[in-house]
Amino acid sequence: MIQVSHLTKRYGSHVAVDDISFTVDDGCIYGLLGPNGAGKSTTMNVITGYLSPTSGTVTINGHDIQEEPQAAKACIGYLPELPPLYTDMTVREYLNFVAELKGVKKKADREADVAKASARAGLQEMQTRLIRNLSKGYRQRVGVAAALLGNPDIIILDEPTVGLDPAQMIEIRALIHDLGKTHTVILSSHILSEVQTVCDRVLIISGGKLAAQGTPEELAARLAAKGVISATAQGSRENVLKAAGSVPGLTDIRVTAEKGDEVSFTASSTEGNNLRAALSAALAAAGCPVLSLSSQNLSLEDVFLQLTENDSPAQEEAQQEQVPEQTTESAAKDASETDLPSQQETPAEESAPDEKEGN
Amino acid sequence: MLAIFKRETRSYFTSMIGYVVIAVILAFIGLYYSANCLIYGTSDFSIVLYSTTLVMLFVLPALSMRSFADERRNKTDQLLLTSPVTIPQIVWGKYLAQLVVFAVPMVVACIMPLILKAFGTVSLTSAYATLFAYFLLGASCIAVGTFISVLTENQIIAYLATFGVLLVAYLMESVQSLFTSGNTLAFIVFCIVLAVAAVLIGLVCKSVTIGSGIFCGGAVVLILLFQLRPAWLLTAFNRALDALALFNPFETFVGGMFSLSTIVYYVSVIGLFLFLTGQALERRRWN
Repeated sequence: MIQVSHLTKRYGSHVAVDDISFTVDDGCIYGLLGPNGAGKSTTMNVITGYLSPTSGTVTINGHDIQEEPQAAKACIGYLPELPPLYTDMTVREYLNFVAELKGVKKKADREADVAKASARAGLQEMQTRLIRNLSKGYRQRVGVAAALLGNPDIIILDEPTVGLDPAQMIEIRALIHDLGKTHTVILSSHILSEVQTVCDRVLIISGGKLAAQGTPEELAARLAAKGVISATAQGSRENVLKAAGSVPGLTDIRVTAEKGDEVSFTASSTEGNNLRAALSAALAAAGCPVLSLSSQNLSLEDVFLQLTENDSPAQEEAQQEQVPEQTTESAAKDASETDLPSQQETPAEESAPDEKEGN
Repeated sequence: MLAIFKRETRSYFTSMIGYVVIAVILAFIGLYYSANCLIYGTSDFSIVLYSTTLVMLFVLPALSMRSFADERRNKTDQLLLTSPVTIPQIVWGKYLAQLVVFAVPMVVACIMPLILKAFGTVSLTSAYATLFAYFLLGASCIAVGTFISVLTENQIIAYLATFGVLLVAYLMESVQSLFTSGNTLAFIVFCIVLAVAAVLIGLVCKSVTIGSGIFCGGAVVLILLFQLRPAWLLTAFNRALDALALFNPFETFVGGMFSLSTIVYYVSVIGLFLFLTGQALERRRWN
């Protein structure tokens, strides 16, 4: 178990990690998610004892990384962003060296350990090759195998799939998934789909701060709670907007398309999806039949964008205007997936360039 | 520590560098041995070693330059520092590996006095004692080089800086002779050293008060000393320069004396620089 409390790391005047606290429970796969430069690697480097925190503590299985570094480090297998490989060694030599470094004393144990880790990382064929001559993907695997040596409880992988081809990515993800059954795994990534498919829990880091944490579903649900309803109704623009505006709790109503007498609009609801019924009733009462009505389930991607775009104060204002447009975009995406009326795709195309400008 | 030691040693011998260092040292010792002992017929082996100390300046920085600079550039220090080993273990593992490479030509040189012995009267004790001191001198150079290597991630800079520092140490005796001219000079040099130290301490503590306080306090002491006991300053100045002349203590061995103070001096230099290496490694984690 890892407990990180009030962790801060400054480089000179630059604050890389700002007062982060979280707990990593045993037997789960944790995803550390954040845009580039958010402080993911710094956090991992502090947890593994490579860097010292400016303030705050990290406790690994009850051992403080500052007070008892050796005991704490013995619990961790770490694959840094760039695998720390000695290119003048063969794979077997390197893995043997790492095993010895991790305190596997007996030669027979070491060989068994190396064989096991190599098998898991798919390196059996490469044992006698010089690391210098290996491709990026295989180097990554050597790094993963090295992290598994010494049978640590916790495995920390910093962007394990960067630079790999899609097939290798899938293999590494399968390996991580596999590892999650026997180890606690923390991996960092800026690829959302990866985190969404592999991780049990997600920590979103943005601008050195912990923006959110929870299971991928929880995070999505959290934002869906003040989610977006998109609807199409028949009637004049004024009547539809008036009817929608009369529903309490429904704010930020925007017309996204008008086609003949069909008006499509989106609205933010503050009380979850229950407002769909009220909206439908209100529209019907105003004599505007509802043609389609749906609430948008946000993907982790939307959660991520909403949380991490608050990075700089300058962007915050733009952000508030942007949010509905982004959700419109996701609305369009969902719409195309669920075969909703095709009118909704038009506004998406309009809003997409806006969003790019905002970014 | 054993793992790091084994890996480093193997790495010196899988790359060219180990062999080159051994070959160059042996070539020069062999050259002077042939010229002095075999052709000219001297029975004094220590003169051979004395003549080849200059070779250390060029060769040993090549050995020490990669020790930490390379790790940092390739980010392999990340592996070492996140493994369950302590920093002294890392430093010693690397240092001992370099000593092993340097010890190979020393072991070969051990044969040379024996060959002389077969043909005449040779003081083996004196020869081996000098060889031992020669080894300690080399070990001190390597310790200095290891420390400089930890400060940079560029091997070339590590080599040049180590070479420069060793060169200053080598020439210190003649440099010193330029500075015997008076107490005022000693006073000025001490003031400069004090100012530099005060600025550094001020920067480290991020406090102007501490920095200027140290400078003012030190300056008062220096001025008092300069007024009351000017000779002390000069003596202290010469002592300080003496301590920097890394190659001088070795000469007592060449003269045929077994000097304990020389051994203590070299062991202290090794200890000090390895300690500084460890501190520099540790300090990097905080920046």
